[in-house]
Amino acid sequence: MQLAVLILEDERPVREALARDLGHFGGHVRIEVAEDVPDAWAVIDELDRDGDRLALVLADHRLPGTSGVDFLVLLLDDPRTVHTRKVLVTGQADQQDTIRAVNDAGLDRYIPKPWNPDELRSVVRDQLTDHVIEHRLDPLPHLQALDAARVMPLLRTRGDR
Amino acid sequence: MTDVAPSLPTLRVIIVADGALAAALTDELGAGADDPIGGSAHLTGIVEVVQVEHAEEAVELVSATTAEVPLVVLSGRPGGVDHTIDTLDRAPSLRRASTLLVTDRAVHDDAARAIDGDRLDGVIAIPWTAGALRLHARSQIARWLRAHLPDDPRTGSLIDDTERPLELPDSEMLRDLEREPAAVTERLLAAIERVLGPRPRLHLPPGIRLTHQGEGVNGVLVVLRGSVALDRSTRVGDLRLHHGSTGPVVGLLSLAQQRRAFFTARTTTDVEVVHLSLEQLDRALRSEPEVGAAMAAVSIRALAQRLRRSEQLQVEKIELNRELDAERERLADALHQLEQARLELVEQARFATLGELAAGIAHELNNPVAALDRAASYITEDLERLVTSHPQGPALAQALTTARDRPPSSTAEEREQRRVLEAAVGDRELARRLLAAAVTDPDDARRLATGPAGEIALLEAAAGIGTAIRNLEVGAARISGLVASLRSYARPDGDPVEDVDVHQGIEDTLRLTAHRLAGARITRDYDEVPRIRCHPGQLGQVWTNLLVNAAEALDGEGHIRVLTDAPDPEHVRVRISDDGPGMPPDVLKRAFEPRFTTKQGTVRYGLGLGLAIARRVVEQHDGRLSLEADASGTTATVILPVAGPADDTTSRPQPPSPGG
Repeated sequence: MQLAVLILEDERPVREALARDLGHFGGHVRIEVAEDVPDAWAVIDELDRDGDRLALVLADHRLPGTSGVDFLVLLLDDPRTVHTRKVLVTGQADQQDTIRAVNDAGLDRYIPKPWNPDELRSVVRDQLTDHVIEHRLDPLPHLQALDAARVMPLLRTRGDR
Repeated sequence: MTDVAPSLPTLRVIIVADGALAAALTDELGAGADDPIGGSAHLTGIVEVVQVEHAEEAVELVSATTAEVPLVVLSGRPGGVDHTIDTLDRAPSLRRASTLLVTDRAVHDDAARAIDGDRLDGVIAIPWTAGALRLHARSQIARWLRAHLPDDPRTGSLIDDTERPLELPDSEMLRDLEREPAAVTERLLAAIERVLGPRPRLHLPPGIRLTHQGEGVNGVLVVLRGSVALDRSTRVGDLRLHHGSTGPVVGLLSLAQQRRAFFTARTTTDVEVVHLSLEQLDRALRSEPEVGAAMAAVSIRALAQRLRRSEQLQVEKIELNRELDAERERLADALHQLEQARLELVEQARFATLGELAAGIAHELNNPVAALDRAASYITEDLERLVTSHPQGPALAQALTTARDRPPSSTAEEREQRRVLEAAVGDRELARRLLAAAVTDPDDARRLATGPAGEIALLEAAAGIGTAIRNLEVGAARISGLVASLRSYARPDGDPVEDVDVHQGIEDTLRLTAHRLAGARITRDYDEVPRIRCHPGQLGQVWTNLLVNAAEALDGEGHIRVLTDAPDPEHVRVRISDDGPGMPPDVLKRAFEPRFTTKQGTVRYGLGLGLAIARRVVEQHDGRLSLEADASGTTATVILPVAGPADDTTSRPQPPSPGG
């Protein structure tokens, strides 16, 4: 089982840049991209088939015909994604969208555009770590993508079993 | 009839009656043929008397002659009064005639129209006192002659048994009422002086008060010459109530009000008056009946004059009130329009500020954009030189170019390509990296997977540079586009611009308002339309307002259609519709009114202001903006003339033409 990160972004240069900035995680975490919501669901189906786990979604807010927040809300209704960590990456979200994202979609983080690559990677690492800790997953296969210091206690308790 | 001058028309009295009444009437008014109007020698030869049985006969009779008919005497019996008079009225000479009704009936309910039409001049009951009807008839004829043939010498021949001319009333008072006012005053004074002896005349300059408002009045003043005005002091100051309508006896009416003067009477010219104390007046009235009659006539006349004046004032007051109401409405309307204009100005000022800001930003962005764009091409040029010096130069150059020129593909297609590579090399991460290195051929992938380590990383880097350069160029081009849009959108108003592409303006607006249209799906249905002459900046404001309104109607989700076409070669039509909830008719009706509410000191503009401004801009372009709404949404339609607005001659003063 691999942890997966899904990037949902309709603009190609931005999508490519996000994917490239997360290239460091390649080999440890599965990075997938989708340009719209239907393709995002296709990715989720594919992950499910491959037995991988969608640990984190990075979604743009402005998407054709819908909003990132709407998509994040929908994720809560699907057993495969209900535990997925959610991060909004956007240059435009007014206060109301943000409130809704936090209250209704359980938004975990908000990254404004343009982003700092180190900060982006740090957020992703933190979110993956939170996900692993929260669900008491075995951190060993994903250790390169996690915050080692924070998962140490988990390693020890799991080791005790 | 020999003594009637040939130029004078024949006068004819017509009796409409039958049986015994006809005989009695003919007998009373005129007996035999040699004594046409009987009884009095003074009337002989003046009037012919003719008797007919029915009104129709009378009409026939007069239509054949030029005779004038001063009087018709009709019986109240056959056919009904109104019916008979209606028939008589068919002949103009009968319609002009006076009409006497002679009847033996106690009640008439058939004369309403005759009264209403002022067609009944007298009602005489049967039996009448012998001779009374004749006298009545003669008086009617005399008055008719005075009214219709004032120069007819026969009028004077119509006299009563005492030789009194019949054209004047018999009673002193009625006669006085018909006399000239000055003559009555003279008669009054003459009658008074007959009792009191000659009265001294008082000569007064203008501005002298003859009575004092609220003060007691102990006598009257007869004004023989000059004018007196009546003033009354009121809450709103001294008012002159009568000037032309002041009667010749000042103070008389105060006698009816506990001898308190209602007005202050003041001379306005040099006047000549005679003073009469209450006692003197009393003695004159008691001793000489003519004083009473003249006084009554003077009073009635003064009262009538004042009443008319007061009625006139009443009419004027009503008229003024109407005007005042109309004025008030106009003012309210003007205020409303001013308010609207003010709101529009505020909005325009805001827009103008935004426009200046946009223009400034657009200008400032030009340099960094140019630098970005150039940098992207320099990097490309320099890299090509660098790469050729590398041992694997051609492969790297190939990877770079492929990545840079890679056509856009969907994320699903990319995943499919990755799956193909994964099948070839058996590793998903490797497949991802190969794809990032612009490798798509499975054979190439297999060769690279088994080749020296680091080769893929090198290709990946080259392809990464290619992708980065492409994104730089795309980004720079997009910023350039935005800058261009901003510049045309914020173009300052001046003369209309020729040859403007409406689609370009709409596209610029769509690009610049993209953040406010979030969530709405935009469909463009552009037809080929002629380029137009317009103020592009102002039209940008129209598109902005219409698009933002549509997006607001959708409230986050829905569909906006932008449809353009040319309904005829002279016009371009733009329709912007949304599939929102539409508007109820009463809201639609007021959609162009600016509405605003002040809440906690902030002015909030309703949707109407944007529409009001949009409509004004369109109308200034000699175009039309209309709005339709139903349950399936709202459509705004703008029709613009290709020729553009008429040259602005109204706001610019024309130089005076030479000569002329």
